[in-house]
Amino acid sequence: MKTTFRAIAAILVVASLVLITSCKRQQPSAGGGSGAGAGSGGGKGGGTGHKEQWVIGMSQCNLGEPWRVQMNEDIKKAAAEHPRIKLILKDAQNKSEAQQAQTKEFISQGVDLIIISPKEARPLTQPVADAIDKGIPVIVLDRKVEGDKYTCFIGADNVKIGREAGKHLVKLLGGKGNVVELKGLMTSTPGQERHNGFMEGLAGSELKIVFDADCQWLEPNASKEMNSALSRLEKIDAVYAHNDPSAHGAFLAAKQEGKGREKTIKFIGIDALPHEGVRYVKEGIMTATFQYPTGGKEAIDVAMKILKGEKVEKNITLGTMIYTAENVEKGGETIQ
Amino acid sequence: MKEGSAEKERNALAARVKSWTDRYRGVLALVAVVLLGCIFSPENYRSDWPLFLTLDTQLDVLFEYSEVGILATGMTLVILTGGIDLSVGSVLGMSATLFSLMVVAYGLPVAVALPAAVLAGAVAGCLCGGLIAKTKMQPFVATLAMMAAARGMAKLISGGIKVQPGAREWYAVQSGTPAFFETMTSALPGIPVQPVTLLFVFTLVFMWLVVKYTRFGRHLYAIGGSEEAARLSGIRIGLTKVAAYGLCGLFAGLAGVCNASRMTLGDPEAGSTYELDAIAAVVIGGTSLMGGRGNMLLTLLGTLIIGYINKILSLNAVPEHYRLLAKGAIIVAAVLIQQKRRD
Amino acid sequence: MERSIGRGMCRALPEFTSKMLSFSAWLDTRTQRPYANREPRQQSRGDDVPQILMKGIRKSFGEVSVLHGVDLELRAGNTLALVGENGAGKSTLIKVLAGVYPDYGGEIELDGKPLRMDSPRTSENAGVAVIFQELSLVPPMTVAENIFLGREPFGRLRLVNRGKMAAEAERLLGELGIHISPEKPVELLSMAERQMVEIAKALSRKVRFLIMDEPTSTLPEEDVERLFTLMDKLRVSGVGLLYVSHKLEEIYRVADRITVLRDGALVGTATPQELPPAMMIKWMVGREIDQFLPKHQGVPGEPVLSVRNMRLHDPVADRYLVDDVSFTVKAGEIVGLAGLRGAGNNEVLGAIFGRYGNRASGALEICGRAVAISAPRAALEAGIAYLSNDRKEAGIVPPMSVLHNMTLGSLKALTRPVILTRRREMEAGRELYEQLSVRAPSIDTPVENLSGGNQQKALLGRWLMRKPRVLLLDEPTRGIDVGAKAEIYRLMNELAEQGLGIVFTSTELQELLALSDRILVMHRGKLSRELSREEATQENVTEAAMQVSTTG
Repeated sequence: MKTTFRAIAAILVVASLVLITSCKRQQPSAGGGSGAGAGSGGGKGGGTGHKEQWVIGMSQCNLGEPWRVQMNEDIKKAAAEHPRIKLILKDAQNKSEAQQAQTKEFISQGVDLIIISPKEARPLTQPVADAIDKGIPVIVLDRKVEGDKYTCFIGADNVKIGREAGKHLVKLLGGKGNVVELKGLMTSTPGQERHNGFMEGLAGSELKIVFDADCQWLEPNASKEMNSALSRLEKIDAVYAHNDPSAHGAFLAAKQEGKGREKTIKFIGIDALPHEGVRYVKEGIMTATFQYPTGGKEAIDVAMKILKGEKVEKNITLGTMIYTAENVEKGGETIQ
Repeated sequence: MKEGSAEKERNALAARVKSWTDRYRGVLALVAVVLLGCIFSPENYRSDWPLFLTLDTQLDVLFEYSEVGILATGMTLVILTGGIDLSVGSVLGMSATLFSLMVVAYGLPVAVALPAAVLAGAVAGCLCGGLIAKTKMQPFVATLAMMAAARGMAKLISGGIKVQPGAREWYAVQSGTPAFFETMTSALPGIPVQPVTLLFVFTLVFMWLVVKYTRFGRHLYAIGGSEEAARLSGIRIGLTKVAAYGLCGLFAGLAGVCNASRMTLGDPEAGSTYELDAIAAVVIGGTSLMGGRGNMLLTLLGTLIIGYINKILSLNAVPEHYRLLAKGAIIVAAVLIQQKRRD
Repeated sequence: MERSIGRGMCRALPEFTSKMLSFSAWLDTRTQRPYANREPRQQSRGDDVPQILMKGIRKSFGEVSVLHGVDLELRAGNTLALVGENGAGKSTLIKVLAGVYPDYGGEIELDGKPLRMDSPRTSENAGVAVIFQELSLVPPMTVAENIFLGREPFGRLRLVNRGKMAAEAERLLGELGIHISPEKPVELLSMAERQMVEIAKALSRKVRFLIMDEPTSTLPEEDVERLFTLMDKLRVSGVGLLYVSHKLEEIYRVADRITVLRDGALVGTATPQELPPAMMIKWMVGREIDQFLPKHQGVPGEPVLSVRNMRLHDPVADRYLVDDVSFTVKAGEIVGLAGLRGAGNNEVLGAIFGRYGNRASGALEICGRAVAISAPRAALEAGIAYLSNDRKEAGIVPPMSVLHNMTLGSLKALTRPVILTRRREMEAGRELYEQLSVRAPSIDTPVENLSGGNQQKALLGRWLMRKPRVLLLDEPTRGIDVGAKAEIYRLMNELAEQGLGIVFTSTELQELLALSDRILVMHRGKLSRELSREEATQENVTEAAMQVSTTG
């Protein structure tokens, strides 16, 4: 009973405090608010020019994926070099609804620029367009939104990476052999593109895809699928996995089989994150990995340009790098 | 003697305060959450105005939680009978996919697609209810089965892809967004409220009245309170259960249409884990999972409490791990408070 | 820790069992007639220091004070009966002694030394064992597992020694005269057998004080006497017993002293000689009550209920619980269905009401019209109302208000066209609420907060609201206090005078004899005898129920 009393008293005290502080806040904002409002209404160049701080809001669709964690790391690292930038990072936990809400929040918060890495295009097209309409520039990372209502798109070319992987494998196997393809989520664009690109790369050779499965980017799934492939097939020359963890999972499955096949099969993957693919290549687990760049650093570079009022390209396609046993110590090799 | 009477008076006052706080516990909790929001509100970088104290923010909470709220409305009916429905998230996904498929792929008018999608949800719910009533299967098991089956159905009819304009060559709509989708999620002329939000509020208020003022509602309480007593009072247990689960499915179907409108596409994966949010909203409101105790307004409170907490955490860009920890703590706290009241 | 205690108790087992009389001795006493020729009690150890002394015990729940300063003495080798109306605070007092409520006020002394009952463990270490009304057995586990739950004897590798456990359990049960396989899951046992297992479990530890909360409420009569014999042995061996019951005969059968509580306060403690039944009831209710009203003197009218060839099949045991039962009830008549537990008299009522669906068969006529017995719904519509004997599980809807519980059976009539308004419900409920003198803080109080008697009245309200022609009351006075019992008797008489046909069962013979115009006695599912009011005596009914005259 006493505690209830105290709780009520505490709530009342807090309530009055909040009312007081909110009133205090209100007074200066009456004057300052209109000024800032005029600034924002006047367009991004004028409004942001004399501000001491630029606020960038970043909505990441899913921090459950290591590659996206890396993207956030890259962004944070790049932003730390610009003392004028204040970065707000939000994670949407793989929910488009949450990303819609976050975009809205950034708009009402009055940030100077939004970076968004969408879970999928359609649901975010309208919110991004809304931001543009309010005069807030938007950089779209990795996955595009529909239409052209955005400021800048930065992304890598999955088809190209897939093609390079295919070409590399043709060279490696001498134009002939049996390949297992462990795919990413095939309802997603990257999965489809990494597959299509790979097929382009194989065109004209005698490499055959003898087994393929949708592993949904997940290592345990890849292990399971690889198990079936191993038990079904006598001769496997190479495994092409749509991401490095899947390649690693396939390697483990081969090792567990106990026939030593993990030493003869070539494992090739995509993404080349420092703690995943690159490390696997260093340790000799994987034959090669192709970098799928996060674009985090580039996003901040472009953001600075936009905020300073400079002109930027509408679409920026990032290149890729290959890491093999030969070049991994030197930090990989850029393709084109 | 004097001391005794003074003590009595004090006790009486304390009892009055306690019964008052008991009754409005949920409201107090909501007020506390809103106050927290006021304290921890980030400011607009351009005007210094606390973000939380804008009308937009309040409406956004309702708008963003309208699907969960609609699901929670149906869930309340089921939980009142002492059951649970784990399938609502999947049924939402199925209905969203079906609705988009009819509108986008086959170009059917909304007047046909909307009732069909809602009906599909109701059928799924009735199947669960029938299974539970006829075979005495545990609700957890029956709806777990439906959870898997409805998700499978969603993937089957969509062919495993997200149903959106231009996704397949033969789709009737190849580009743009069907007008209905936009209407549902954009503010109505004159008032800054979206039809989706209105649908949620209307659904909840309507079901509040149904539960409070109809025989069906009373039967739900009776079954949840004591099923055998209800049966011996001449209540048709099976029929009532089928109706409760059917309505729950129907609302899941309705939420599916809202979800499709919000996402402007039909995602066969939509609504996964939504069932847990819906159950959490019901439980945090104070409706007992054992059945027979609670009401619809508590569910509104529960939905708002979850919605506001998420909004506060999101506005402050609190990382997901802290959010999940907070959510866990809140659920435990809410249930503990409930138990206290029971003593 | 856990293990060493377990071992200690196992070692104590032989010591305890030696205190018990053997099965053969039990057989001797069994042949005696119940309640007959009770030897006068010696006040053997009455002058000893009280072993457990509770002084000024207080306990409140929130702002409601349940116990305000109760004293209680428990002595070794002495049986104390704790009596009082429901809600007088008996259960709370027991729970304080069991360490369930550590936040009590007042003092407890054990052998003259103060002891704070702050947990069930403390209580257990003090040698207190409690057998609650709701048994605390784990249904899917075997008898042996239940008896040794938490104190399992270990064998090699610290695995539970099942063989040893079963052997110990068998010996223990044998000495108590209980013939149950220790390997049988408890869920397959009857209530009486479960009760015995519960007692065996309690006694398998080193017990100095055994507390029993209405142990006989679920027991058939023959087992009651078994229990009493057992209690006598325990008493002689120096165990202090605390016994809670509503049944006067039992209290005077077992008690050395009687402590009476009323409204959470102590009224007094006295020996049975000092406290005749009428006086004890006065102590309990604070007023004098004619427990048994004069019988109603109605003239039976037309038949309202006619049952032909009623059978009820039990699919588990594959036998008939009710076997070819036929009888007729006239308007204004009260018919008592007597029988030992398991005779099928309770089931007859349920079967008439359609409670068992298609497991029951037979023909039924209500006021001359044939009615199919398929479901309670159909029975209700035909004008039958049924009060089950399981008030908590199949009667009240605990969280619902008194009013809503009362209107639950009549909602259809109160709905016009779809809306159920409070005004209409109040109109229907208010009058009955007052007429039945349901005592509750308000008509909107959840029914679970009411005492058993008032819950029962609310339930009667539910059925009377339907204005039935036939009222089936299955043990209507089960577990309710003396005052409420008297009110229910009065009500039954009134209803009969208004022309209802009433069929009821009871475990108390006195009740059946006092209220019935006719008594139908059942034995193993069949009607064994029909006794008119003039013929019915305690001996007749008991004989027919036990089939002494026919089986010879």
